[in-house]
Amino acid sequence: MLRFAFRNLFHKKAYFLASVGGMALALMLILSLDAIVNGIQAKITTYIDHSGADIFVSQPGVRNMHMASSTLPLTVLDQVRGVVGVESVTPIRYLGNIIAAGDDRYPAYVIGLPKDAQAGGPWQITQGVAIPKDGEIIIDRGIADAIGIGLGDSVRILSKEFRIAGLSEGTDTFINSVVFISFDDFAQLRGNTEAISFVLVKVKAGESPTAVADLIRTNVGDVNVQLRAEFATQERRVVGDMSTDIVTIMNLIGFLIGLAVMALTIYIATFARRREYGLLKALGVRSSFLYRVVLTQTLISVVIGLVLALLFTLLMSAIVSLLDVKLTLQVSPASLLKVSTVSLLIAGLAAVLPVKQIAQLEPAAVFRGA
Amino acid sequence: MTNFALQVNGITKRYGSGTTEVAAISDISLTVAQGEIVLIMGPSGSGKTTLLLMVGALLKPTEGSIWLDGLDLTSLNERALPDIRLRQLGFIFQDFKLLSALTVLDNVAIVAELAGMTTKAARRKAADLLTELGLGERLTFLPEKLSGGEKQRVAVARALINEPRIILADEPTANLDSKIGLQIMRLLRHIAKEQGRSLIIVSHDQRIKDIADRVLWLEDGRFKDMVTMVTDPVCGMALERDKATSAVWDGQAFYFCSEGCRHEFLDNPARFQTHQDVISSPSAIHQEHSLD
Repeated sequence: MLRFAFRNLFHKKAYFLASVGGMALALMLILSLDAIVNGIQAKITTYIDHSGADIFVSQPGVRNMHMASSTLPLTVLDQVRGVVGVESVTPIRYLGNIIAAGDDRYPAYVIGLPKDAQAGGPWQITQGVAIPKDGEIIIDRGIADAIGIGLGDSVRILSKEFRIAGLSEGTDTFINSVVFISFDDFAQLRGNTEAISFVLVKVKAGESPTAVADLIRTNVGDVNVQLRAEFATQERRVVGDMSTDIVTIMNLIGFLIGLAVMALTIYIATFARRREYGLLKALGVRSSFLYRVVLTQTLISVVIGLVLALLFTLLMSAIVSLLDVKLTLQVSPASLLKVSTVSLLIAGLAAVLPVKQIAQLEPAAVFRGA
Repeated sequence: MTNFALQVNGITKRYGSGTTEVAAISDISLTVAQGEIVLIMGPSGSGKTTLLLMVGALLKPTEGSIWLDGLDLTSLNERALPDIRLRQLGFIFQDFKLLSALTVLDNVAIVAELAGMTTKAARRKAADLLTELGLGERLTFLPEKLSGGEKQRVAVARALINEPRIILADEPTANLDSKIGLQIMRLLRHIAKEQGRSLIIVSHDQRIKDIADRVLWLEDGRFKDMVTMVTDPVCGMALERDKATSAVWDGQAFYFCSEGCRHEFLDNPARFQTHQDVISSPSAIHQEHSLD
């Protein structure tokens, strides 16, 4: 049966190429969009991932940074510092805003960083200082290059001018970048508030972050405590939720294109061979065998299309990584599973009409020259 | 009933109903012995194909019964018929009907595989059979690379692979030139006689009569009794002698499809001398057909 299905499929190469090519393009649409979203989600947590903190403490109900605002009283700092297993605490002030230079405007995570920060600062400095003083700012090197500014130049945040004192690397997350100003400057920007946004906790060597997090929850009331990985997961989830609708729409389009291409090509291929299928029925071959042949052909086309789509997406990802663009593409096991499921669904649905066509074939017609 | 490979008892096939009812086959009976070659001839629309379909378990008669190797086909459930076709009947078609995507070997082997043989055994048996039929060098060829005669030999191999008791051939020489057609028919006769397989051929080809044990004439859905066929020397049409107009020339009777042909002949009989030579051959003109 497999041999027959394979031979039927590869005999007419134009049909075959149209079939798997169309399928590959449709699946690539789904796969590459997922890869883009995954890439964005992976990058969006770059600050959290490189913060150096083991635990993030935030206002109750605040579970991430993107599009969120957390306010904690400064007193929380000492309470957390007093928990057994805590090595250091770093308060940061945080605001999602815009940095402007001339007419250029870039969305940014603005981090207010204390002078003695043990965590939460830039992790790779290409030029200048790592901790900004009052009136200074550290911005992403790529953003600075894009705007055409450098050390000593000024940018604005909430109408206040900051002098660029450092350039950081890896702080551009595609949808925004991370900039660092002094703790006090941040407070002034926000009306001389004493409040802080997050407490970044490092645990002592040999201590379990999970256990320390539990202790903070117990000993410090009215805060939200998350391990770094949990905090990053929440961040990715928010971005994922924000892009869910567009991803769903694009997935649906990819699914419909794939289904249309596959259904049409398999239908045409079956139609072109209806005499041969009729002959086989006349010779005594059961319809169920022919159904399996069609389904196998569909599955083979879909699997080849899926493999091609994956290869194209990985190739595209490699090419994109070589280009000097912020975008990265990441093919995740979850999206592979999703696309595989979609492929199977397409294969099943695409075989429906051909199977119906075969069921209606009258074997006696073979003697009448039909 | 088991003395015969096939026994057809008073079958009738009617299409439509009421005023639109048409009987394609009317009360036909036929027995075919093991190894016997039966040729069924008749004009277009006479019911030959309908008869073949019913004998081939592809169409159920409205009345009557068909016994194949002791099994009443007409009493079987529709779901049982594909197995009968696959294992007990072999089919040969006028346009070969090979599977275009499969090689010569696979075209034959697939039928054995579907009948339950392992792939390896089926391919070995198919290769042996095709080699016997002179196609040993063509096993990996696609049908499009074969001549008409080779294609029909592949079809013969396909019909034989499951060792059926009966082979049904529908115009097996129609798409072959006379030489190749004759070769194929001799091959089929050899198979029938050597292997004891019965062969039912439906054809318009007069030459096949030479290899048939019995020739039946089907017309208007019935076998006609004792028909003597002749050929019009003017237009070459095959005629029933008793219904034809005739003329005697040089001490011999000639038969014509119409008065026009008769006059044309009588105007200048010598002009048809060549035809006269041919029609004087007993096997060509005075073919007697004994019917059941």
